[in-house]
Amino acid sequence: MNWTWFHKLGSPKWFFQWADRWGKVCFWFGTVLLIVGVIWGLGFAPQDYQQGNSFRIIYIHVPAAVLAQSCYLAMGIAGFVALVWQMKLAPVFIKAVAPVGAVMAFISLVSGAIWGKPTWGTWWVWDARLTSVLVLFLLYMGVIAIQNTLDDLQLADKAVAVISIVGVINLPIIKYSVEWWNTLHQPATFKLTEKPAMPVEMWLPLLFSALGLYLFAAGVSMWRMQNEVLVRERRANWVKEEVMKRGV
Amino acid sequence: MTLSSFFKAELLTLFRRKQSIFNALIFFVMVVTLFPLGVDPSPDFLAPAAGGIIWCAIALAILMSVESLFKEDYNDGSLEQWLVSGHSVSVLVLLKVFAQWLMVVIPLVLALPFLSKMLFLASELIPVMLVSVLVGSPALFLIGAIGAALTVSLRGGAVLMLLLILPLYIPVIIFATGAVRAAQLEMPFTGQLAILGAISLLALAISPLMAAISIKASVS
Amino acid sequence: MQAVTTLCVENLWLERGDRDLCRGLSFSLQGGQVARIIGENGAGKSSLLKYLVGTLSAVEGSVAFNGEDISAHRDVLIQDLLYIGHTPGVKSVFTVAENLKLYAPHSSNQELEYALTQVSLDAYWDTPAAQLSAGQKRRVALARLWLTQKPVWLLDEPFTALDVSGVEVLEQRIKDHVITGGIVVLTTHQPLHSLNPVTIELAS
Ligand SMILES: Nc1ncnc2c1ncn2[C@@H]1O[C@H](COP(=O)(O)OP(=O)(O)O)[C@@H](O)[C@H]1O
Ligand SMILES: [Mg+2]
Repeated sequence: MNWTWFHKLGSPKWFFQWADRWGKVCFWFGTVLLIVGVIWGLGFAPQDYQQGNSFRIIYIHVPAAVLAQSCYLAMGIAGFVALVWQMKLAPVFIKAVAPVGAVMAFISLVSGAIWGKPTWGTWWVWDARLTSVLVLFLLYMGVIAIQNTLDDLQLADKAVAVISIVGVINLPIIKYSVEWWNTLHQPATFKLTEKPAMPVEMWLPLLFSALGLYLFAAGVSMWRMQNEVLVRERRANWVKEEVMKRGV
Repeated sequence: MTLSSFFKAELLTLFRRKQSIFNALIFFVMVVTLFPLGVDPSPDFLAPAAGGIIWCAIALAILMSVESLFKEDYNDGSLEQWLVSGHSVSVLVLLKVFAQWLMVVIPLVLALPFLSKMLFLASELIPVMLVSVLVGSPALFLIGAIGAALTVSLRGGAVLMLLLILPLYIPVIIFATGAVRAAQLEMPFTGQLAILGAISLLALAISPLMAAISIKASVS
Repeated sequence: MQAVTTLCVENLWLERGDRDLCRGLSFSLQGGQVARIIGENGAGKSSLLKYLVGTLSAVEGSVAFNGEDISAHRDVLIQDLLYIGHTPGVKSVFTVAENLKLYAPHSSNQELEYALTQVSLDAYWDTPAAQLSAGQKRRVALARLWLTQKPVWLLDEPFTALDVSGVEVLEQRIKDHVITGGIVVLTTHQPLHSLNPVTIELAS
């Protein structure tokens, strides 16, 4: 097994140049996919026989919710890498991804509320999914808050790594507990996604928009990481060269 | 410094600083009294809500008491001495949390039956309530210790601590109130208590380690 | 016959924020020597001590104790180390005696009394540390020097807030310690009278 890529990832300079190339690709490819998926979903996919047109918000809601969770998982892994291997880029990654994840959680909360209005007749229901996304949003807020409150960079990096790991370990417990609690308190609201197999014309646009959003978020995160790397390595020679070359 | 001299010193500190223990107790009692005053004093409302009210009050009281867990040690240089004591910082954290748990939870547990009665909780449910507190509260202390260690170098870390830690308290509160609720409905409740115990054990495995990392990063 | 204690730092690069505190700093100490770190306020004297005890990490450099590289883990050094920092870990809820017992649980009351007499605190045995002055608190921490067997002492500004006789007693204790083969690293702005230290200079 060849580990050089792993060690290269630890080098901010190498990462910066790599992200310069691939970040843009991810961003633009993701944007196109996302637009195609959303327009297809909102405009052309068939109606749902139960919920009519209101179900179409699924093309925003589901990708955002899934991405919000993936981002937190990725942050937890990065936190582990940061503590165990002391890799320089891991805290940079966490710092870059946290706001992206928070925005995704927020979008999925808002779109969930908009979906809830015609479906359940109210903006907010203590449904298991919504509740656990709300908790996820709070976890993100905690990470962002501590990152911004601690002045000492090394301490802030450690703190964020610790809280990401603890959050990730807790995430399944929180999800399970909320689901369990929900079945106890709210029997028999009808299920939204458990329907006999979606037709292809319905799930294909969903796949497009989900994939598009992933790539889009990856692009944005890489760009944020690049900025952070430049700030952190501002005393290194390669940063000076890079800045001179582009004449910022 | 040996582990036993350390533990004795911790107990003695808590004993001398009775104020912090009383604060937690008084806070607990106040929150519980606010509910009947603020919402509805009738037994119809209070009896089913009692488990939830008591547990939320306990979680907040515990959070308040662990918030400043390492503050004084940080300010007087003791944390630095921990790092050069030759003992594992995780073990020291564990001993400290254990001492704090003993001194804070005992008064809470003693007050619990009276408050439960004031909220019209049936007498046969009080043992379930007590067991849920004994099994679930270690997790609250241990998780809180991570937050306390992370924010120890901040001047006003209390609000940040709340934001960081409260979401992690949710499962404990859910399963603890779930156990009381199930007992009220005469359903089996040992499963919930077992899950509470499992969460406490998991916290026991992870939290001292994480708190130690945070302390090392804070002291420099 | 026990080998001589040695403490060697090589090519040390310490950084705080964006400032280099030292770069390429090397020194080597052995049993019998007192080292004095000098430099202006904020030059990094305390930081260097913190690096030695392992609470602050370096950008580059290594440290060896008794010939063994301890750059990654200070465990070996810590077993033989007594460190008294700026804030020396004196707990204000405890009495003077309780404070000493926490760090020296195996010492008898007689030994504790002897140590307290050395720092002229014998009359304060039962006084809560909260009621002591800054200099007296420092003396409580310094009393540990009469109770310890550890060969390496790292003392951050031990003379601050001490009166003339206190300084004298402490210098004598340090002298006695290095004669038996110990190493003492200290920072201070005051002139030392009876000690003949190696100087480690941090230029800013
Ligand atoms: N906790 C800290 N966080 C960030 N910078 C610090 C901290 N403590 C000290 N510094 C900086 O490190 C430098 C050296 O500090 P220090 O080692 O305490 O100096 P000295 O002991 O020589 O007076 C100072 O410039 C100071 O600003
Ligand atoms: Mg200093």
